[in-house]
Amino acid sequence: MHASRPSINQITLAVALRNLLGHLPRTLLTVGAIAVGLASLIFLWSFNEGLHRNMLGNFQQAIIGSIQIHHQGYFQQPELSDYIRNPEKVAETLETSGIENHSQRLESFGLVASDETTEGVMLIGMDPNTETRVTELEKRIGIGRFLQPGDSYTLILGATTANNLNVRLGDEVIVVGYDRYGVMVAESFTLIGIITSGEMGLDRGMAITSLETLQEMVDMPGQVTTFVINLPEKNIDKAVKQLNEQLHEQPLEIMPWYVMFPVMKEWVTLHNGFLYLFIGVVLFIVIASELNTLLLSMLERTREFGVFMAIGTTRQEVAALLITEALFIGILGTLSGTLLGLITVFITGITGIDLSILLGSTSRFYVDPLVYPQLELGRLGITISAILIASMVAGLYPAWRASQLQPAEAIRYG
Amino acid sequence: MTSIIKTRDLHKCYWVGTMPHPALHGIDLDIEQGEFAVLAGRSGSGKSTLLNIIGALESADSGSVEVFDQNILQMTQDRRTRFRLDHIGFVFQAYNLIRVFSARENIAYVCQLQGKSKEESLEIANHWLREVEIEHLGYRKPDQLSGGQQQRVAIARALATEPQIILADEPTANLDTQTGRNLIHLMQGLNQRLGTTFLISSHDPDVKEAASRLIKLADGQIVDEWSTIPKPPISISSACPVQNKPLGERVRIKLNRMFSRRRRKQSPKDNSRHS
Ligand SMILES: Nc1ncnc2c1ncn2[C@@H]1O[C@H](COP(=O)(O)OP(=O)(O)O)[C@@H](O)[C@H]1O
Ligand SMILES: [Mg+2]
Repeated sequence: MHASRPSINQITLAVALRNLLGHLPRTLLTVGAIAVGLASLIFLWSFNEGLHRNMLGNFQQAIIGSIQIHHQGYFQQPELSDYIRNPEKVAETLETSGIENHSQRLESFGLVASDETTEGVMLIGMDPNTETRVTELEKRIGIGRFLQPGDSYTLILGATTANNLNVRLGDEVIVVGYDRYGVMVAESFTLIGIITSGEMGLDRGMAITSLETLQEMVDMPGQVTTFVINLPEKNIDKAVKQLNEQLHEQPLEIMPWYVMFPVMKEWVTLHNGFLYLFIGVVLFIVIASELNTLLLSMLERTREFGVFMAIGTTRQEVAALLITEALFIGILGTLSGTLLGLITVFITGITGIDLSILLGSTSRFYVDPLVYPQLELGRLGITISAILIASMVAGLYPAWRASQLQPAEAIRYG
Repeated sequence: MTSIIKTRDLHKCYWVGTMPHPALHGIDLDIEQGEFAVLAGRSGSGKSTLLNIIGALESADSGSVEVFDQNILQMTQDRRTRFRLDHIGFVFQAYNLIRVFSARENIAYVCQLQGKSKEESLEIANHWLREVEIEHLGYRKPDQLSGGQQQRVAIARALATEPQIILADEPTANLDTQTGRNLIHLMQGLNQRLGTTFLISSHDPDVKEAASRLIKLADGQIVDEWSTIPKPPISISSACPVQNKPLGERVRIKLNRMFSRRRRKQSPKDNSRHS
């Protein structure tokens, strides 16, 4: 329809730029609003990511590991008769799959007793040589020491349990259990370590001894009920799939941590849900503030748009003008917001953010008081694109309004 | 001589909500090539409306407008835009230069709209700045120019696309007498040298004096200056027929009239009760 107008795009760009510069405070305010919104989103996502990784890491490394392998049905109903039939094959498969961090356990219900009282516990026999590869339980022993190779009938209890039993380091503790035929067995242990983690789940309900000792006590030499594996979060799903394929001839259950303890995963999902809500709010603010700026500048220039049209500018070219302004604001806001966000994440990623004031000492829920925000590239991409798209969308309505102006009216009343 | 502007039985009525404002009522006008025609008439007589319709800036309700034998009332919005660019130059009372452009850029812009390169357009702009005798002010922005200077830029901008017609709506109304006179002189000179047709609305006596032809408008009708018989006043219902409106609008207008009549009837009764 129209002859090509090569230089008009250039003019549109120039007009848009000059208009934005002509209202510098307003432009900067809008760009700033977008930038601060985006930066806070980037920071919050990274903070969340850091918090979750820290929490999930602590949770897994406390005791349960990333993946556990048991005999089929053992996790629901832990009975010694459901021991792993061929642990050598499992260990070999893990090694050939490149999973080096694994350890074996024998786990069973039992009782611990002192002169004063008894308490029901999970009896866990751990291999002192390999346990430290899969958990950091050793670091949570506040009093005494962790198991050592060669230990015999030594015991570790949680602080709460030790308190309830009123036993101290070096005291005798009677452990009662059942062997794999259901026959009751009891032995005397020496308390060598007390877990003082501050986590309710660790400080009570467990009695830990060496794998060899427990095997001897329940008369199951060389047998284990559990393989514990430690893996980076991102490799877990793949490893579970792979192990399921490779170990399918044995009746095993290969369970990632979040299948064993789904609440933790749900909590993270919920927590992220709040962030999505926050993204929504920020997007709304971005659109609203930019819409406000562009509508204002459109209304101020009604007459000028009328003149543009009167002297031969098409409606599309007038719309393009406002869209260009929206793009400028959007791109500038997104760029500076990204920069601001990245710098914040980078600095706090080094210094860490101290939450010790916010967190009570009682229920720490596996959170370290020092959180290091971590950038997650996928989310960064989504957040940036969302803001960029929102800032462009905000330009559409004013552009449409401007293109619908009747030139005569716009000039007469603008 | 052939007329380059030809209007026949042109009607235009504005509606503000359900209130009609008659603006033009049966305008028959022929403007010939090279005329320096002046539309006179008091404020509200319909001068701007007529210029806007001829310039394809707005539509009429009925009648026809032919400019260069093209029926502009039947054009789409985009065709009208192109038509304005190619054939019409506008000069407004309030100058209406683009704020962010310098004088030179204001003029060059319309050439670029015509597809000319930036360099060529700026050359043309320089030429027209010389024509309107402000070549030394080309780099100034509108807010650094006096009213008279701005209006000269506006005239240069209107002429830069080499249109056949310049439509000027009260171009001197915002200027002092002497500046206005200089401007009229400039336009007259351009009219004579270039042969561009000027149609100017104004109630400035200096403009009327310069006219090669004077057209008087009153209440949306052309009145003969020398005729002593006044035209019969037009009724609103004949100037603004409701029939032209879409059905929904028509119902709204009728209802509105009904209710306002009822209210008028009721109010004396109310008063009598109070007194
Ligand atoms: N957009 C509009 N809405 C309502 N009434 C209008 C509008 N434009 C013009 N009018 C009315 O139309 C009539 C003619 O106006 P106009 O053409 O501006 O006259 P002039 O230019 O001679 O002063 C006036 O009564 C005016 O109030
Ligand atoms: Mg007027």
